[in-house]
Amino acid sequence: MRTPHKYALSAFAGVSLVGALAGCSAAGSTGSADTPTSSGTDDSSASSGPFKDGSYTADGEYTSPGGAQKIEVSLTLADDVVTAVTVTSDASNDPTGKQYQAQFIKGISAEVVGKKIDSLNVSKVSGSSLTSMGFNAAVKKIEADASA
Amino acid sequence: MPSLRFSAIGTDWQLDTALPISADLEARLHARIDDFDRTYSRFRADSLVSAVAEAAGNYRFPDDACRLFDLYDGLFDSTHGAVTPLVGRALEQLGYDARYSLTRRGPGMPAPGWPDEVTRDGSTVVTRSPVLIDVGAAGKGYLVDLVSELLHEGGVHAFVIDASGDLLVSGPEPTVVGLEHPFDPSMAIGEVILANRSVCASGSNRRVWGEGLHHILDGRTGEPTREVIATWAIADTALLADGLATALFFADPPELADTFAFEWVRVYANGTAERSVDLPGRLFS
Repeated sequence: MRTPHKYALSAFAGVSLVGALAGCSAAGSTGSADTPTSSGTDDSSASSGPFKDGSYTADGEYTSPGGAQKIEVSLTLADDVVTAVTVTSDASNDPTGKQYQAQFIKGISAEVVGKKIDSLNVSKVSGSSLTSMGFNAAVKKIEADASA
Repeated sequence: MPSLRFSAIGTDWQLDTALPISADLEARLHARIDDFDRTYSRFRADSLVSAVAEAAGNYRFPDDACRLFDLYDGLFDSTHGAVTPLVGRALEQLGYDARYSLTRRGPGMPAPGWPDEVTRDGSTVVTRSPVLIDVGAAGKGYLVDLVSELLHEGGVHAFVIDASGDLLVSGPEPTVVGLEHPFDPSMAIGEVILANRSVCASGSNRRVWGEGLHHILDGRTGEPTREVIATWAIADTALLADGLATALFFADPPELADTFAFEWVRVYANGTAERSVDLPGRLFS
């Protein structure tokens, strides 16, 4: 089972990308696709060196298509392990900037692209199209009544 | 691979098992599912939750109900009251009632406070008012877990339970599961690989009975959600995955991750999707 602690490390992986972006200008928006995954980074983050325990805070800046954006990152280290991360978005009301920051704070974002299930090598499908027979029957009846 | 199909709690089930399911085990499965339905279905006049809705009082639930209500306690806290088992009357208010009238009766009706109206002593539920319990957020996943436990008890250990979109994969054999496109069931927007885990889906755009009317309600307002249209959660149990799939409509994933261990995908009404960094799979882009 994963722990909140590991989630924090996942967030840390994303945060390090923010640091990298601080040096970028308008190209910042393309970085999201390369956000590192948590696998492989956990151990190295935990054991890559002797850090002093405590809380650290840093500001980052980057330029999104919506203009200059600020982000504040605080993390807590204990025994060389990140035990807490908070990312505070200082975005103005610019929705584009908020959207990019949300990617780092919450996860990886992408446009939805569908592929035909027939063309995939999947053995099961998870979705909500088959959820309720009673409901579907009721809707059919209402449609029939409405068109009668 | 032997496969058992049946209909239960208003949806289609398929159990793919490495070993055949004996007639005796099959009978026990159906008996357990009937028990569940008689306890939790607000669509049945003879169910326990229908009795609870009649009058305040003390009600003895099955022993294992603790697990379900414990999860609801956690989801209620993590979503600040958005996810609650007391949305029954709010759903009725919007027309999602036992008769499937599908006719809105009035403005959104906030759910009564779960900790205020209901206390628990073991599996005894004590209510202060005639609340209508609806376990739609996590009940199906919970039943998947109960079916899984019966299969294990019956000596069947490798299987996939598919309860129309909520899946549990038991055994080390990885199963690739497509994530159904919210707007086109012939397509997938991604895939995940599971072994000994569960993935549950929740979607707001499949059961729609009017402008903006669907079954995923915010307990604080009694109104349907709008921004998020589909979610998936992957967790060790189907109970957890199902409940979190609903919670993802209301709470930010990092906030839920403070309490629960899971991976996730969210699709927004604007056509973008978000996934957890550690998703055991991918989104197509």
